[in-house]
This record gives sequence, C-alpha cells and structure tokens, in this order.
Amino acid sequence: MRIRLDPWPVDTQDGQLTLKPFAGLVFNAETEVWAAIAPREIPSRLRRVLVVDGKPRMEARLLLDDEAGGLSLAGFGAFVAGAVDLCPHGTRQAELLEVAAQRVLAYSSESAATVRAERLSPRNPHTGRLEYTPHVFSGSGLEGAKSKVQRLMLDAEAELSHRLASALPLDDSDPNALPDTLVLQDGPVRIGGAGRAVLGYVKTLHTDYLGADRIGLLGTLKPGERTPVLRFRVGDQGGEQGSEGREQRFTWYVRLCDPPFYQHPLAGVMRLEMHAPEDSDFVPRGVLDIANLSGRLLCKLASQPHKDARAPQNLIPTAALEQAMGRAMGSAELVTRRIRSHLARELGHVALEGAVA
Amino acid sequence: MTGISGARIGMVLGTEDVTPTVFWFAVSAGASVQLDDLVVVETLKPDGRPVRFYGLVDNVRKRHEGVTFESDVEDVVAGILPASVSYAARVLVTRVDPENFIPPQPGDTVRHARGDDLKMALSADKMGQASFPGGLLADGQPLPLNFRFVNGESGGHINISGISGVATKTSYALFLLHSIFRSGVMDRVAQESGGRMAGSSGGRAIIFNVKGEDLLFLDKPNSKVVKKEAEASANKGFAGDRYALLGLPMTPFRDTQFLAPPRAGAAGSAIVPHTDQRSEGVTPFVFTLREFCANRLLQYVFSDAGSSLNLGFVIGNIEEKLFRLAGTQTGGGTGLKVDDWQVDLSETPPEDLEFGDLGGVNLRTFEQLISYIEFKLLEDRDGEGDPKWVLKQAPGTLRAFTRRLRGVQKHLTPLIRGDLSEAEANRYRPNLLSGAQLSVVDIHNLSGPAQMFVVGVLLRQVFDHKEKYGRQDTVFVVLDELNKYAPRDDGSPIKDILLEIAERGRSLGIILIGAQQTASEVERRIVSNAAIRVVGRLDLAEAERPEYRFLPQSFRARAGILQPGTMLVSQPDVPNPVLVNYPFPAWATRGDEVDDLAGRNVVEVGDDWLR
Repeated sequence: MRIRLDPWPVDTQDGQLTLKPFAGLVFNAETEVWAAIAPREIPSRLRRVLVVDGKPRMEARLLLDDEAGGLSLAGFGAFVAGAVDLCPHGTRQAELLEVAAQRVLAYSSESAATVRAERLSPRNPHTGRLEYTPHVFSGSGLEGAKSKVQRLMLDAEAELSHRLASALPLDDSDPNALPDTLVLQDGPVRIGGAGRAVLGYVKTLHTDYLGADRIGLLGTLKPGERTPVLRFRVGDQGGEQGSEGREQRFTWYVRLCDPPFYQHPLAGVMRLEMHAPEDSDFVPRGVLDIANLSGRLLCKLASQPHKDARAPQNLIPTAALEQAMGRAMGSAELVTRRIRSHLARELGHVALEGAVA
Repeated sequence: MTGISGARIGMVLGTEDVTPTVFWFAVSAGASVQLDDLVVVETLKPDGRPVRFYGLVDNVRKRHEGVTFESDVEDVVAGILPASVSYAARVLVTRVDPENFIPPQPGDTVRHARGDDLKMALSADKMGQASFPGGLLADGQPLPLNFRFVNGESGGHINISGISGVATKTSYALFLLHSIFRSGVMDRVAQESGGRMAGSSGGRAIIFNVKGEDLLFLDKPNSKVVKKEAEASANKGFAGDRYALLGLPMTPFRDTQFLAPPRAGAAGSAIVPHTDQRSEGVTPFVFTLREFCANRLLQYVFSDAGSSLNLGFVIGNIEEKLFRLAGTQTGGGTGLKVDDWQVDLSETPPEDLEFGDLGGVNLRTFEQLISYIEFKLLEDRDGEGDPKWVLKQAPGTLRAFTRRLRGVQKHLTPLIRGDLSEAEANRYRPNLLSGAQLSVVDIHNLSGPAQMFVVGVLLRQVFDHKEKYGRQDTVFVVLDELNKYAPRDDGSPIKDILLEIAERGRSLGIILIGAQQTASEVERRIVSNAAIRVVGRLDLAEAERPEYRFLPQSFRARAGILQPGTMLVSQPDVPNPVLVNYPFPAWATRGDEVDDLAGRNVVEVGDDWLR
C-alpha cells in the first residue's frame, strides 16, 4: 500500500486527491509533440507584473420583515480587490495598488420591505466611513447575499485586471507590440476579458483537461518546465451542437517545485489560462511569449511551505496582498459591534414603541 | 507662547503606549531622525488649550511592516513581496509646558525643535543671561548650560566620569573653562548681580596636571586645530567651524602661569623646575620649613592617618608642637632654630648641621626636621623622649610615626626647604590666587605621597583664603583622578579638604571640576554634590552602577560606545542628559602640537629641547 498526502490543508474547501474529467474537447494548439518544454528567461521587455486578487467577507446576515409580515433575507458584506505591482527583474520594490474595501448591503429582489440604505448603513464620524451600498440579488436563498458579495468581488477583480494589463496583440506581425505589463489573476480568466495580457492561474486542480494518455507528463515536469499550450472551449459539454461553450481558452501546466515524495503527484503543479481568439487555430506570439516566461516567473514568486500552508501555489505577493486586503476591510469584530450598536440606535425605539402600545 | 518653527517629522504612534514622559512617533517619509534630536509636540486639551511636550530622541528603529517572517526580507528586497519600512523614534520628554502631565494624542504632529522651541526644550529660557555653551548638539546648535549651577549660586561643581584616554575628561574640563572664561557669561552674571561679583577678571582656575606634561602648553596655539575643525565641520555638515558655532574664540588660554616642583638635589642647590618638555615659563614652587610648621602642614604628609586613632593623635600633637616652635622663631629666614637638640645623643645625627649661637641648631632641611622630631620623641632623656612631645604614647606608636616620616622624607625633601633666603622664598611660594587667571600645577613627576601633599596643601590654602574673603571671585579647581584623592572607602586629609570643598566650597566660590574613571570609587558626597555631571565613554559594567542612575537606560548603553570628543551632559534644568560634542582644543595639549610658527621659529623650539 502506498500513502499520498493531499498538499492542501484540511480546512481548504476541496482537496486535490481526485480529478473530474473535462467533458468537452481539448486540442493541441502549440505542437503535436506532448513533451515538457524548458523554461526561458523573462524578456527585459516585460517591465511590470501585477498580481491581482480579491477577498470577500460577510459581516452580518439580516432578516428584514415588512409591515405585512413578509420576511426576506439580506446581509452586510465587504469585499476588496487589489494588486501588487512588482518588477519581474527585481529592479524595484514591490508595491500595493488600489487596495481599498467596498461595503455592500445585499438584499433579495423578493423583499417587499423598502430598503432605505441610509437607515441601515452605520456611520461613525470619529473612526471613518462605514457605509454600505445597496445591491439587489435575485431569489431568496440563504446564500444569496454571500454569493452577491462574491460576484461583486469577482467583477471588481476582472475589471482591475483588464484595466491594468497591456493590450495583447492577437496579430503577430508587429513584434514591438508585445506586452510590457502582465497581470496574474487568481482563478481562471473571466468571460469577456479577451485582448489583454491577463494570465489566470488555478491553484487547485479539480478538472482533468488532459485525459489518461497525457496526464502522466505532469508528474514528470521539473520545476519551471511547462506542458505545450492546449486549447479548449469554456463550458464545453462535448457532443452536440449548442453545448460547445462560450469562449475559447488556451491552457498549459507549470510545475513550481519538486514535491516531497509523500505528496500527491500533482502537488506544486499549476494550471494557467489565457483567452484565445475565436477564429484562429494557432497560438499567437504574445501568448506563446507569456507561456515561455511563465515557468521562470512563477518559480520566482512561489512561496515556501513553512511560510504558507498553500505553498508553492499561493504566491508570495498574493499572501501579502491577502493580508493587506484583510486590513483594508478592518477588524470584523469591530465592524460587527458597530453594526449592532447602529441598529440598536436607529431601529431599537420602534420595537420599544410597539411594546408600549 | 512660542512659535513652532521646525519641519514636521512625524506623528505620535498609537500602537505603543503614549505617556507624558515617554512616547514613540512614526517618522514621516523623507524625514531623518537621529538620536539626540530635540523635538516638540503640541496637543490640544478638550478645552482647546494647547500643551507642548519638548523632548529628545533616545531611540530610533526601523523594521519591515506587514511581513511575518524574518527571511521575508529577501523577498522584499527582491521586489516580490510588498512591504513598507516602519521608521519610529522614541522621545524622552524633558519639559511639558504648561505643566499639564497629560499624554499627547496618537496622531499629534512631531516637529524638530528649533529657535524658541529649542530654548524651551533645553530650558534656556530659565537661564537667561547665565547660559554659556557646553558643547554642540548633534545638529550643530549649542547646548546652553546654566552658569548659576556652576558658580555656586543655585548649585555648583562639575563631575566628569569616563575611561582614561577615550573619554577625554581633561579636554572637556578645559573646554568648559575656556567657555566660562571666554563666552562672557561671568561678566554678564556679575553685571546682573549689581557689582557684588567681579566677573571673569576676578575668576581664577587651578588645574592640577597629573598625567604627562599635557597641560603645560595651554598658552600655546595648537597647530592642528584649524585642520581638525575644518574636517569636523565638513563631516557633520556644519556651516562653520565649531568655535564659531559656539561663539567662542579659537585661541589658547591667556593669562596663564605654570608651576612645577623643583628637581631633587643636594641642600642648597639651585631651584629648577622638574619638567622635561618645557622649561621656559615654568615657575618652580617650594614650601619653606618654617611655613610647614606654622601652617600646620604635617597632616598632609600622612595619607593613612585614619588607620589608627593613636597615630592621628600623635600627628596632631606634633603638628601643634611644630606650630608653637614656629611661633617662637625670631628674625628672618626660612629654617627653624631649636636650642634643645643634643645632637651628640642622637643615634644618627645629620651630617651638615648648622650650629647657631648659644649652641642652638638651625634646621635647614626636611631630613633635619625629622631627625629633630625623632630625637624629641625617642632619644631625649635616655630614650624616653620629651614628655611634652610624647604625651604618654606607646613607643611603638611613636616609632610608627617616625617610620612613616622617614618613608616620605625622600619625596618631600625637594619641596620643603629651610635653606632659602626670604627673597627666594617669596619668589618660589606658589601663588595661585593673585597671580595669573589660570594656574597649572604640574605634579605628574612627583611620587604619590608628594602629590597628595601638594594637592592637600594648596587646596587648604585656597580654602582658607576663600573663607577669609568670601565668594565673590570664583575659583575653579580642576582635579583629575578623584578616586585617588578622595577614595570611597579610605580616609585622608585630602579627602577631608575635598569634602569640605564639595559641601561648603560652593558658598565660598570654590568650584571643583573633578574627574575620575569610575565615579563608583569616589566618595559619594563629592560626586553627589556636583550639579553638572558629565559622562564620556564608560565601561558598561561601570555604567550600571548606582552613581549613573541619572542616565536613562538607553544612555547608559550608549555610554559604552561614545567616541572621543562626545560627552553626555546632565544639568539640573534639563531632566535628561544631552549628548554634545565639543571642538578640538585650540591650545596645544602636547609639546609636538605647539604651533611653532606662532611667534617662535624651529630653532628656538629646538633650543628648548636641547637645554
């Protein structure tokens, strides 16, 4: 019997012990030869790398009841999306960029009660703003508010990535138009963000895009090496017309470190993803360029197991960014206490009056 | 209320305790704060009235903020991990104005103290006309010292501690003297007193030179000072040389005299000063045998009189007898005439006795005096001694007494002479209080007992003189190696006189500028009476002794790394010590530093060396 260890800590949402096969089709895009490709140097043209991440938080769940006695759900939440700006050649200090929290009052579209944001949003003139912007979500599920906050965060992340990244020339004729700013974004790239040098990185592998005949290569990758670039369609269910998915993607795998022998063979392997043009079956030069430098770059940013339980995939700048984002949202305890005292002050007398009457 | 003039350099931190006496502040980006910077913070009370905190920076630190692991520094420098450097400084508050001891508010603005604020921070506003420069602060501003705490008005005495050679205690003492005499503070204070004091014209200083011939060239310009000062002001980025910043002239001491003991020689030999490097301009000094008796100087011969009660009794008695003997002398001369010495009964009669009329003997040397005392105590009346001199003391005690006298005979013979004419005696009598403004008494060539004797006798003379004439003319006495003259554990006649100076001298206008390597080994009452205390480089174990409790902990640690030319100065007006540096001496401190070109040429200097 052989025992392997899941690389992720047990409190991570999903483990990485088994992979679910991808239903759709996956094509070779770069080459027909399925073999490891050695890392290349990071070209000096690339001046900036931005690591973008976001963080949501629920601060309070609310139950709203209208005069007619109808009940609906709502919640106070906060999210933050930010970036770390660094030079891949180490010529300057890394900096935090646009790390600012936003607060959300998410309420159900089925709520009959009129949501008056200003009555619900606690403010404190002494210690700064704590003002919740109302956002409606559809349905009446318990998790509705939470997923609304999550959705808003993902949108903010996508917007930030799109705005910060260089345009990616999908036309190969002009070598000078290659990007000088690359955005690394946590998770797969988002729908509708094509045309920009945004590289999505997937830390935890759940879906097997390779199939039994190809996946063996991942176990033999050396640190920094990558697989050839593949192409697939997001949401492809395979088979019939109409279910072939919405957008084309390029994807490849990179290994960040030599895994300890007792770990899952895919520990330290990361899947990378970029948008692919709809109408061509070759890999544009800009994408190939990024694929070539991705091994070196990610090995440089990979963290150490004693510093981060999700090492090496949780990159060093991301860990720092997560800490900064947590700080930007403020102490959860303090926020909850202020929400409580605000609601008591604003709405408490209604209950009292009712009791007296 | 004064205006805040300095630039904003930071904000009071809220993550560390803020107290009315100590607080931390975060240094703003682009600002540079170093130890000893003087800062001011203004905070508003709830009623809107401001309170200002003046203090000095006693600790500065930097660290990476927002990173968890120490090895993260590599990632930060490699540009991968975003982290900011937190730069914070700790302030020891020296003054709160008005005296509302509330803490400052986190977030209050911290500024450099400049101009009026600096004066407030260092309490210079309280000093008024009595302030004189005690050195330069780190940023080139002079540190004001309060002369009223030096001259005895409010306090007196200065004590300097530090390791020999590195702490440059004597240099700082000389710098203070230079500053006192030449900054005009004595005249200003005298003027304010309405004519009850004489100012610098009446001020005197006496320096005992105990080490080498370092202090015998104080009247000569230093050939290196211009170069050294140019280097120093370039290094520190000062606008001018440090003398100019302090408002002091870059000149050697003026109105000086140099006294040195005579060389040992046969009785009747010529009196020449016992110095090696300098011979011109040095006056030899001697005490006459008759003065020795008349002024009761015998006690200063014994440094261990306290070791036995009986011995002290004998000394007192013989001193009294000699005093009476001196009182019966008739006619001029410096020797003693005795007519009751039956020389033929002595065990070892001196060879060159001079017999006077009526069979009397003229005592002309210290050795003869000892022989005479031996005769009176041990040989007269068939070995019983003269009962009036013996006073029923056991022969053992008497022998102990004479044995000690014989022990110091060699050291004191050149200093105590009875063979001089009255004119010679007048010429060579040490004249500390009516001669020059600055007297250097060179005792480094003397043996231990002779040094003790000279210091004790001269200090006693100064003290007696001041007791008679009062305090209007301040006399500064500079004495190094206090631990030798006033040790904590043993008694000596010099310790008694030093204690008297320390405790009563300030009201008589005698100010002791004392120095020692280790204050812990000096009589506590002498150190504790000093109003101004100065510390140079200290041994770290020494710095932890209770004598240095006036230094905050961070300063005690720093005392171990002070460089020559920097001192920590503590004065009563400012609760915390302040680090100062002081300029290179403008006077020569060694023979080879003398500026040859200032008045004399090389040949003349060479002549001096060959003579």
